[in-house]
Amino acid sequence: MIRTQEYNLNFGPQHPSTHGVFRLLLTLDGERVVKAEPICGYLHRGIEKLAESRTYTQIIPYTDRMDYLAAMLQNWGYVMAVEKLMGVEVPEKAEYMRVISGELSRLASHLIAIGTYSLDIGAFTGFLLAFRERETTMDLLEELTGSRMTLSFARIGGVAADAPEGWLDKVDKFMDKLPDCIDEYDGLITGNEIFQARTRDVGVLKPETAINYSISGPTLRGSGVDYDLRKAKPYGIYDRFDFEVPLGKNGDCFDRFDCRMREMRQIIRIVKQAIEQIKEIDGPVIAKVPKVLKPPKGDAYEEIETSKGIIGYYVVSDGSTKPYRVHVRRPSFINLGYLDEMLRGYLVADVVAILGSIDIMLGEVDC
Amino acid sequence: MFGKGLVKGMQITWKEFWAPKATIQYPEHQNPIPDRFHGRFVLDLNNCIACGMCANACPNKVISLRKQKVGTKQFLTNYVMNIQYCMFCGLCVESCPKDALHFSKVINMNQYFYNNIPLVLVQREAPAEPVEKEKPAAKPTSQPKADKSAPTAKSEVAASKASDKEGE
Repeated sequence: MIRTQEYNLNFGPQHPSTHGVFRLLLTLDGERVVKAEPICGYLHRGIEKLAESRTYTQIIPYTDRMDYLAAMLQNWGYVMAVEKLMGVEVPEKAEYMRVISGELSRLASHLIAIGTYSLDIGAFTGFLLAFRERETTMDLLEELTGSRMTLSFARIGGVAADAPEGWLDKVDKFMDKLPDCIDEYDGLITGNEIFQARTRDVGVLKPETAINYSISGPTLRGSGVDYDLRKAKPYGIYDRFDFEVPLGKNGDCFDRFDCRMREMRQIIRIVKQAIEQIKEIDGPVIAKVPKVLKPPKGDAYEEIETSKGIIGYYVVSDGSTKPYRVHVRRPSFINLGYLDEMLRGYLVADVVAILGSIDIMLGEVDC
Repeated sequence: MFGKGLVKGMQITWKEFWAPKATIQYPEHQNPIPDRFHGRFVLDLNNCIACGMCANACPNKVISLRKQKVGTKQFLTNYVMNIQYCMFCGLCVESCPKDALHFSKVINMNQYFYNNIPLVLVQREAPAEPVEKEKPAAKPTSQPKADKSAPTAKSEVAASKASDKEGE
């Protein structure tokens, strides 16, 4: 018998499949993974610390930089926490604007997730087609907010601006077009036998383990756990919309991918309902809040469902214009917790498939 | 049947092959820029009252402005944006009470030299005449005072004020 030896392999930090700067120290036995040690912090900017020297409004652009693919959802979580702290009532129209822009952000994030995932597996066309629709999504968001990725659209007490004229119709038109596009991705990626062979029964995450590891988002729902904050604990006005929560069965890479795919169809449903309902509402898009925000002493925690999972903002106020402490529960970081055990026993080629299926966002992991 | 999905994928690829191109040839053709686009800043000097609200609203302390008192009004002598630190979040534009600061649709802000990066929106001398016209009698006594106070007023930049507060 030949004596074999385990060896280390650095996966990243500059590896295109890590979707950012993320290092994975793999201990390999031949081609099988024995141990995987995620090493993060390459994109650490100290946003939580920076927040302590900024006023409450000034923190909003920094939250963009956490999950820059779905910036509106990050803004939303933060402003909700501050609104809870201050007891601000958000106007109805602002809630609808948040839902529409937030769901568009989620769509943009999911399109990247499925596009880059197909690229990880080796299908280049799927990546390009997903980016084509993402471009339209970003064009719409640009028209609304002025920025393409880092939107900074939410404000404490509402949103920055009302929709420009004709914008809602444009979104509506895009939503009419989108199902055909998703059918295209389904035909191109989901139905592909090679793709299925690469992802089925790879990186299985059991529902109990997922709950124990506090995993959230499509990664959790891929394992069949029905927990979507929009349904389980409706924040904002999500209880007014009729939509389903797509669930997986086996908890493998394919299910996680498929969950995102089916979630996109639900996004269309939500946005269409929101556009229908917002047209009947007239009013301001921002509540009357003082220019200098001085929340009372105390703390508030608010969590929302982003494209990656549950993001929670914990804001502590000492009564001054600047927060005493801001802590963020970042879903990408927590979803990474199980990566080591998930990778064990799989081949090096599967590492890319599993890491991509969790859909981490490095700006959020390192904060 | 195995291979059905592959065939379907190829059909879609074939269909997309003949579809009109989604990309444009960038430098020659450009997508229209929306009205709310966050491009280079423009300062409307007729409206600006040099209050410094924009400098205070900025999360990154990009804006530094100097002002001088001319008569009863504040006169903006210097308005510089360290654009390399700007996040283009739009909080300064939003905070402006007189609607003087705007975004333009200029996207190209590249500079070859580092020194040219700061965006100098205003750089001018304060007019001296209104002071003389209003208070001709008090001129000999107030003039040296004004000279002395001018440099301090200049250094009293709103942005540096904010940074002092942070240091405490």
